[in-house]
Amino acid sequence: MNQPTLPPFDIERQLKYWKMCLDRPLPHHYLSNEANRMALAWFIINSITILTPDLDESVGARTESSRSDSSVVARTESPTSDSSVVAQTESSTTSKQLISPISPEDKPKLRQWVLSHQQPGGGFASTSSLVFPLHAHEQWAAETGTETTERSGMANAPGTLFALQLLALLADDDDPAGAFNGVDRVQTLRWLKRLQREDGSFGEVLRQLPGQGWFIGGGYDMRYCYIAAAIRWMLRDEELPADQPGYVEDIDTKRLMMYISMCQSYSGGFAGSSRDEAHAGYAYCALAAIRLLDRPLETLPGYYHSELIYKIIPDMSRLNRWLAWRQFVYLDPNTPSVELDPSSSASVEDGDIVNFLLPKSPADLSLLTAEDKSASLLVASNGRTNKVADTCYTWWVGAALANANQSAFLHKNPLFDWRASRRFLLEKMAHPIGGFSKYPGGPPDVYHSCFGLAALGLMLEPGLEHVDPDFAVPLNTVKVIEKARAKLFEQPKRASALALDLQKMGVEMGGSSTPKWMQTLYGFT
Amino acid sequence: MPPKGKKAKNGKSADSSSTPGEASTAASLEPFPPAEPGPSTSTAENKPKGWTVFVQSQIFFDITQPPTPTWIDRSVLEGKGGAEAAALWLAPRLAVTHRLFYPNELGKVLGPKSQEEIWKAVNNSPTFPLRVIKRRQKAQSFGIDSRGREVGTYTLPEFEAREERRIKLSCLLLLSNRFSELRDRERRGFDKSVVVTEQEYLEEKARRKEMAQLQKKLYGTQGMAKEGKLALDPEWDDVTPIKLEEPEKALAAIAYTADYAEAMSYLRAVMHAKEYSPRCLKLTEYIIEMNPAHYTVWLYRAANIFALKLSIPDEFVWLNAVALENLKNYQIWHHRHLLVENYWPVIASDPRAIAKFAEDERDFLTKILAEDTKNYHVWSYRSYLVGKLNLYSDPEELQSIEDMIDADVRNNSAWSHRFFLVFLDPKNSSPGVPATQPDSKVPGHLVDREIAYAKEKIELAPQNQSGWHYLRGVLAKGARPLTSVEEFAASFVVGLGEGENEDVRSTHALELLAESYIGKEEPEKADLCFSRLAEKWDRIREGYWEWLRQQS
Repeated sequence: MNQPTLPPFDIERQLKYWKMCLDRPLPHHYLSNEANRMALAWFIINSITILTPDLDESVGARTESSRSDSSVVARTESPTSDSSVVAQTESSTTSKQLISPISPEDKPKLRQWVLSHQQPGGGFASTSSLVFPLHAHEQWAAETGTETTERSGMANAPGTLFALQLLALLADDDDPAGAFNGVDRVQTLRWLKRLQREDGSFGEVLRQLPGQGWFIGGGYDMRYCYIAAAIRWMLRDEELPADQPGYVEDIDTKRLMMYISMCQSYSGGFAGSSRDEAHAGYAYCALAAIRLLDRPLETLPGYYHSELIYKIIPDMSRLNRWLAWRQFVYLDPNTPSVELDPSSSASVEDGDIVNFLLPKSPADLSLLTAEDKSASLLVASNGRTNKVADTCYTWWVGAALANANQSAFLHKNPLFDWRASRRFLLEKMAHPIGGFSKYPGGPPDVYHSCFGLAALGLMLEPGLEHVDPDFAVPLNTVKVIEKARAKLFEQPKRASALALDLQKMGVEMGGSSTPKWMQTLYGFT
Repeated sequence: MPPKGKKAKNGKSADSSSTPGEASTAASLEPFPPAEPGPSTSTAENKPKGWTVFVQSQIFFDITQPPTPTWIDRSVLEGKGGAEAAALWLAPRLAVTHRLFYPNELGKVLGPKSQEEIWKAVNNSPTFPLRVIKRRQKAQSFGIDSRGREVGTYTLPEFEAREERRIKLSCLLLLSNRFSELRDRERRGFDKSVVVTEQEYLEEKARRKEMAQLQKKLYGTQGMAKEGKLALDPEWDDVTPIKLEEPEKALAAIAYTADYAEAMSYLRAVMHAKEYSPRCLKLTEYIIEMNPAHYTVWLYRAANIFALKLSIPDEFVWLNAVALENLKNYQIWHHRHLLVENYWPVIASDPRAIAKFAEDERDFLTKILAEDTKNYHVWSYRSYLVGKLNLYSDPEELQSIEDMIDADVRNNSAWSHRFFLVFLDPKNSSPGVPATQPDSKVPGHLVDREIAYAKEKIELAPQNQSGWHYLRGVLAKGARPLTSVEEFAASFVVGLGEGENEDVRSTHALELLAESYIGKEEPEKADLCFSRLAEKWDRIREGYWEWLRQQS
């Protein structure tokens, strides 16, 4: 293909949209997401972070040698290395650093807000309306991980994932390792283990139902499997021996992988359960979940190669094929330049036409995509076969393809047409007031706006943070998570060393031999 | 309030409603309005226009606050000119009193000239009490009404109307207290004869609504003890809502209504108390109406149903209506799933009950899928139901799916459900075999049947991905090679690589041909297919075709 022109991307306008979402209450129509407020918060903070890359390399996470390596790669491999692209995008995305609307003074306060959702039984509530005053938790028995009252079980799997990542996104610049200060790692992992069902899948909440005992709520949904794998990776240390304080029994990863493998559909994509239709969001979740189960605790972002996906996914080539086929040439219903297949789908949503329009024949399409016309080609992605275009699927499909090909550099992925996908996002989905919409011509919303940015971040859009395809957060934030996790483990180690010293001292001062309980418990004589 | 001999009461009630404040206006503190002698009777209607509560109040103050001895020195009265001073002291009082209450009487006693002289003396005298009288420096506020207006600036009829409301509110409050007393006594249960009837509940509910309206009219929303729908409902009197307090810095607050905030604060309270009761069930319905996407509310609803052992079929009826109103909502389907899990033991041993239930559910699913043919959550529930009720080989289920594919051959959800029905039927499949893998337990005739079905539907729409996915899926399941449909695929491709003659009716067919050639180890033929796809027929996947060619 010749070098097509690229539309400019107005980063400042995007930031303006997010500043509005940060400073003002979200409008009433977000009510249906009231139960997922932590996710809304994550969309806002993550997007602002993607939009305001830290160009000052002296700051914490940036000084890592690994980061510098990937920065170098990012720079040399970024789309700007195409001279024609530079000319196109320079006007809008120069190296000018945008100031984050989140001030350093606000970060500790916002982290405090996130932490206020942590539940005594581990995990985080997904919304403030499920956070009870402290006295409500009096009957919680922390030691056993059991509880007697309903109110203790307000933790929610997505809420916990987003809360942990928010803490990393909101880390102090001069203390990235302190991001998880205040996180109850042990209780959260214990709680996570209890979310796993017999068949290996995960739910999102635990509730006591009258007469039925504990119930794992949330349906059979690949998202929870992914979320469980992600929380596990963010908080777990494989190396920790079972007799050390801070050790928590792992989730049943074998059964989790078994469950995921059974969810690959005949078409190659993944469904929420073995019975259902393949869905790009679930395909992303399945792939990323398996990758996270063998992702090293510290990685060079974008470079780690998962062997596990080939072992667990029954048919990798069919998955690739299905993902590649999620892309389609977007045809505008208003200006049909080709004859359309009357049976292809278009539906009206809130007054706008959303569509999966097909040309009458492949010959018509080939005319449209002929070399001289491909410069203006728009490629959308759908979530399911024969479904309509949607911003977020450019992310789910693109990121899944990045993961399937084990490379965070989506613009080098042979299975993904990043130029035409980017053009589709900017020309059809980017809204004049900033943000991205679900369908062409629709209003922007925080969910689609965030994943539109994440998709562009994965395509190494100049001026944006490079995004980790396993998490949809900037690579720098993943580095913060790694440091914050490491610090959580230092604490119990230090504490237990101190406890041992004190005990030894006590034994010596008493002049007696070590009591038996101490021998068995700590293994010293 | 007009005088009419109710002076004392008027003064008192005005005082009781007032709160000390500085909300008065200078204009309202004018001295007497100019005398307007004329025909009048002593009623409020005949008071000069603009005679406000403030004016009235000032007059009463002046009359009822006799000058103190320090103000008029007795020696003045007793000494020289004492009589004159005494007269001056007395005259205006007489005048004022008369003017207020006996406007006509004054005219009878004094001629116009005499009256004029008195007023002149009153106005000019430097020692006259009205000039030097120790007046309140600031008018006392009579309170601010719901629109922010000072009650002191009310005209007397306006004030009267307000008083009416206050009296009514007091009476209603008494009745309401009486109701609460009764209800508490009933709850204590010592006196079995005390019973609060349904009628009384309804009356109390209406009463509180009226009280809230009166309160709002009188005082606005400020200082109102109870305002929300639930706070006004006597049924919720014993619950102290747990309000949500936002810290200084919070993220993603949503501008929701006061009703929603109130309902959530009551939900928090009852969840905290682990209460399961009919009123809690009603509360969940109320919240679901406002926000059907709150999973916790649904789980709490389910908990109430199980705790109260309510009828699950009744819940299905209610749920059907809610589902039809909220097509995009998926919590509804989890709730339904949970209900079925709990209903199943009741019907498990009764084949007729199962058949009836299956039929009802299918009717409902058909109805809701007609509204949204590809709703993932509905399909997901449907496949769950098939597994639960073992409907895999139910001819009606298969027919229903065939109807949907006939209606829209591109409905991939229906295709997917068909694959599930045919190939995941425990009767015809081995457990634990992934969908993409061959399964020797699948009967050959089913594989043949489904291949034929897919081919037939592909002929209708050759570029339809659903049909080709399905065909490939069936072939893999039945361990049939791609070469077995090579001829079929080739029928959509004419003169490949032959320039002008080349025509491709389906890129999926061309792709399948390429893979079939690879399987037969005919790489040149496969290469041609891939390059024609990359160069002409499916350019947006150019990289994919190149990648496949390198892999083969």
